[in-house]
Amino acid sequence: MRDLPVLDPGTPDHRSAARYLWWIVRLQKRTVIFGVVMGTVWMVAQALMPYAIGQAIGAGVADRDTTALAVWAGVLLGLGVVQAVAGIMRHRCAVFNWLSAAYRTVQLTVRQAGRLGATLPKRLATGEVVSIGTSDISHIGNAIDVTARGFGAVVAIVTVVVILLNASVPLGLVVVIGVPLLMAIVGLLIQPLHARQQAYREQSGKLTTRAADIVTGLRVLRGIGGESTFAGRYRTESQQVRAAGVRVASVESLLEATQILLPGIFVAVVTWLGARFAVEGKIDVSQLIAFYGYAVFLLFPLRTLTEVVQKLTRGHVAARRVVRVLSLRSELVDPTNPASAPNPQTSNLVDSESGVIIKPGRLTAISAANPEDAVAIADRLGRYSDSGARLDGVRLADLDRTTIRDLILVADNDARLFSGRLRDELTGRRTAENERIQAALYAANAEDILEALPDGLDAMVAERGREFSGGQQQRLRLARALMADHPVLVLVEPTSAVDAHTEARIAARIATARLGRTTVVCTTSPLVLDRTDHVIYVEAGRVVAEGTHRELLDSSPPYAATVTRGEDE
Amino acid sequence: MSARQMLPVASTAEVRRYARGLMRRHPREWSAALTLHGVAAVAGLAMPWLIGRLVQAIQDGTTTTTVDKVALAIVGFVLVQSVLVRFAKLASAKLGERMLAELREDFVDRTLAIPLSTVERAGTGDLLTRTSRDVDALSHSIRFAVPEILIAIVTLVFSAGALIVVGPLLALPCLLGVPVLWAGSRWYLKRAPQGYLRESAAYSDLTDGLAETVEAARTVEALGGQQLRIERTDTDISRSFAAERYTLYLRTIFFPLMEVGYLVPVVATLLIGGWYYSQGWANLFQVTAATLYVQQLIDPVDRLLSWLDELQVGQASMARLLGVSNVADDRQESRGRPNGERLEATDVRFSYVDGRDVLHGISLSMDPGERLAMVGPSGAGKSTVSRILLRFYDMAGSKDKTLKLYEGHFHDLLNDVDKEVVMADIQAWIDARLARPTAKPTVKPTFASPA
Repeated sequence: MRDLPVLDPGTPDHRSAARYLWWIVRLQKRTVIFGVVMGTVWMVAQALMPYAIGQAIGAGVADRDTTALAVWAGVLLGLGVVQAVAGIMRHRCAVFNWLSAAYRTVQLTVRQAGRLGATLPKRLATGEVVSIGTSDISHIGNAIDVTARGFGAVVAIVTVVVILLNASVPLGLVVVIGVPLLMAIVGLLIQPLHARQQAYREQSGKLTTRAADIVTGLRVLRGIGGESTFAGRYRTESQQVRAAGVRVASVESLLEATQILLPGIFVAVVTWLGARFAVEGKIDVSQLIAFYGYAVFLLFPLRTLTEVVQKLTRGHVAARRVVRVLSLRSELVDPTNPASAPNPQTSNLVDSESGVIIKPGRLTAISAANPEDAVAIADRLGRYSDSGARLDGVRLADLDRTTIRDLILVADNDARLFSGRLRDELTGRRTAENERIQAALYAANAEDILEALPDGLDAMVAERGREFSGGQQQRLRLARALMADHPVLVLVEPTSAVDAHTEARIAARIATARLGRTTVVCTTSPLVLDRTDHVIYVEAGRVVAEGTHRELLDSSPPYAATVTRGEDE
Repeated sequence: MSARQMLPVASTAEVRRYARGLMRRHPREWSAALTLHGVAAVAGLAMPWLIGRLVQAIQDGTTTTTVDKVALAIVGFVLVQSVLVRFAKLASAKLGERMLAELREDFVDRTLAIPLSTVERAGTGDLLTRTSRDVDALSHSIRFAVPEILIAIVTLVFSAGALIVVGPLLALPCLLGVPVLWAGSRWYLKRAPQGYLRESAAYSDLTDGLAETVEAARTVEALGGQQLRIERTDTDISRSFAAERYTLYLRTIFFPLMEVGYLVPVVATLLIGGWYYSQGWANLFQVTAATLYVQQLIDPVDRLLSWLDELQVGQASMARLLGVSNVADDRQESRGRPNGERLEATDVRFSYVDGRDVLHGISLSMDPGERLAMVGPSGAGKSTVSRILLRFYDMAGSKDKTLKLYEGHFHDLLNDVDKEVVMADIQAWIDARLARPTAKPTVKPTFASPA
């Protein structure tokens, strides 16, 4: 078995869901074909077993023919061994195909997310993309896996039909008509079952979230004595999930009953016809036993076929979602002939829309009466939205996005901490000596966070950094942004979640850490503003005043009102 | 990827005791479900019997009327069986859902009773894993594994019984399969649960990693972390693949062994049946019916074996869920009542980690209506003081008994107000007070000046 993951997942055919599935099948055609062959051998070996049993009883036991009995018992044993070996080989192929399809889809999605970057959350709801991981990849895996078994099932059914037609035309016809009929009837019940299962899954997902809320808020809950209220609410929802579970079971049990009733009648009809032929002397006892065996066996490939239909449908839906993500394009188009990168150390960064001019090597603050204006300016300065922003006279739109990302870092509060080792989280692509990491943590006033971690820099950060408080997360994000050490750093509200003392310290330390490098802080906090070289005040999306914090406090009453809001009414 | 695991896990004996208690709570439902499944299994045994009769009759020479009657009987039994199965399934699903609801509600009650100091130290990670993954694993076990195993056992018992009724001697060859099946399942079950747990943990790491990449697509772009995410994904895939490979290896050994174990009895029954028949110890009906019954035994045995590992996984989850209540309480509620509204604390000491005190003897007193501002740099212990005053923590390590505040006290004060609103208020108040000591409280703390 080859090793997974593959180094390069390749370029997918994302013109349609079916083409995508076909593309995956083609890439792993060797194991798919081997799986189909093994699946067929496995099914046909089982299809022939009733024949061997029939012969053993009819020709061996009934006729008291020891040799025939031994031969047919031996054939049965042989078929069993073939079935076991082919079965496990088929299973191994199926697992490999499943995994390889699922893994490849994950790899493609991750690469595509990397290419789309900031465009992705704008174009698609996160939940939709995340469901690729939680459900779509398994549906795609199932679809690929079921093809091998489905093929085997078809061959097995055909084999049995041929045998039966040879023995008696009416019997063969019963099977030819009965099999699709049974499939159709069972299929009718599957739709309502799926709907109820979906409802159940949604409700139980909500219940899990409720429990997680209780756990996260446990501290407050217990301190205040809100236990009984929350326990009561959980109980109510838990009972709703229970009711939904019972609703699923009522359809499920009906389906189960149908799957006994219909095939049972099918077996009865086949056996009845067979027995009548036997009485009339058209067939012998061994054939009768074999007929019964075939009818019972047929239920198995029949179930497989129902499964094929279901899994292919679901796989197709899942592939459609994947294809939608894979065919998205970034909303910002890189120029065909990108300009060469200007030197940010010597050039102004200009947002012409608002009139903001960032001078190189200084700590500049953008203070906006409406904080959303500052966010929009930051997005333009970092080319997260299309604009006429320029660096050294060169339009950002004429530069490659990778070039811009290397020059300018916009660090906002929507940024996420990733799970993994804290050290890797802070250093990112590069490796860095401990002193540099310590320095960045110091600048972000995050030393205490590190001290509290028993494993220090090797501590594992949980998903979203959820084990840290909001203020701690913000300081760690700041340290990460400082570590990345971009020539131009744009910080959006970097101290919104910390207390005043910490804020004052961070403001002072950022100024030192970024000394001589272009740094922009979007904030309205006087503690931070007081530490900056230059303040730009924005109202209604335009620059209305500039100067130092103290100058503006005196000269611009609206500025003073914005930054001292609520302080001295 | 939760880092710290400090919450206890219940012992096997405790899990068994709890499971037994759970069963005893619903004796009627249990017996109803088991009876229905039993009767359905008996109805399912009619088919091989009738086929055997049919073969015997044809061998002896019979009329089409008899054949028609037997065929009708088969249809009748199938009808009865399917109706019984419908109600049996429904009954056991209802019972399962009910027990499951009881279990998870019980777990939440236990969680709400965990001492806070333990939660603080263990972090919420472990507890979150238990509320999500373990509850899910247990649900799966109870909704699928438990009923499947019960049905398998019931069917197995009745089928074996039918086989013995048909011909006790013909039941003997069945035992030939037992050593293979027994040894094979022992080997497999010893390794499987661990393997599957590792597999599902690796798989959810993979999907969590994907979710993270997607949700943080902008951050990844900003920091130029695309390559890192690709590498992280590939590492996750490798780990997942290694785990999948291990369980696949287990199945590669186990499945063929089982197949052989199932087949040997069928072949042996045929051979021995033929010999008995030739000696006149058995008739054709007996040989045919016995062979078909032995074949029919395969399904319940297979179900039983393939669900046992799920049951083990469920058991492990249950042990972790029950373990939550094994945390000893860290504070005792004194039955005393406060004799006034004055708040007093003397020489309060507290440490999160043994030997490292964060509070070194704080004393304060407050009169009703008085407002107190605590000023200090981040990490000075402001929050810890207020948490102790609110009894979020107990003063472990402090011999001081003068903290004149009783657990029930706040609760009494807050009883007539909607708890949720108050909770948000208090949190806001704490935030406002502690994060920005200079700011005026935006919310009037309900408990500082009770109306």
